[in-house]
Amino acid sequence: MSTDSDPKEELIEHLPAMRAFAMSLTHNSATADDLVQDTVVKAWGNFDKFKPGTNLRAWLFTILRNTYYSLYRKRRREVEDPDGVMAEQISEKPEHDGHLAMADFREAFAQLSDDQREVLVLVGVEGFSYEEAAEMCGCAVGTIKSRTNRARKRLAELMKIDDENALEMTDSATMAVVKGKPAA
Amino acid sequence: MNQQIDDNLKRVYADTVQEPLPERFTQLLDQLREKERGNSDEESGDTS
Repeated sequence: MSTDSDPKEELIEHLPAMRAFAMSLTHNSATADDLVQDTVVKAWGNFDKFKPGTNLRAWLFTILRNTYYSLYRKRRREVEDPDGVMAEQISEKPEHDGHLAMADFREAFAQLSDDQREVLVLVGVEGFSYEEAAEMCGCAVGTIKSRTNRARKRLAELMKIDDENALEMTDSATMAVVKGKPAA
Repeated sequence: MNQQIDDNLKRVYADTVQEPLPERFTQLLDQLREKERGNSDEESGDTS
């Protein structure tokens, strides 16, 4: 039984990203943290199935999205209240510069389907390859590609982004946030 | 345009990533470790 560099000890490093991914799926911080908690417990009990040397974050994200689809999505539908969820989202983050554009963006993002939000986070934010994302979501690479394109297009439509109406991304607060975050 | 969308997404995502980790998660990991230790104690013969 070899125990060199136990992946269990690395789990904690991935928790902030898992919370952010869960937040993108659930749009509710309490539900997101419940989802992360369930994921951690599941992962812990299945670490013997993790292949050392493979991508731990991808493995954890896969468990998280599977848990979401098997348990949480149903639950969310039962209690769905899109207006309430959105109102919460907007009121949670009023303090930033450029808050108006970001509130709009959050609202638009929330209107995407589950699989569109998921693929945008995996590919656009976390920087997983199409192949990795396909494996995580259990679908074909071509599906991930077209889903990503459709998701971006839909988001752009919702935000009415075009060359003349670009999102304000140049204010100093924005740049600080973007620079402060290593690109996944 | 895709770059712009991804940049905005990263901002929203970074807001959560940068939050301090809630205590419940460090507590959870402690509990899981403890439980694991407890289990291996039982396997080695301690039944009380």
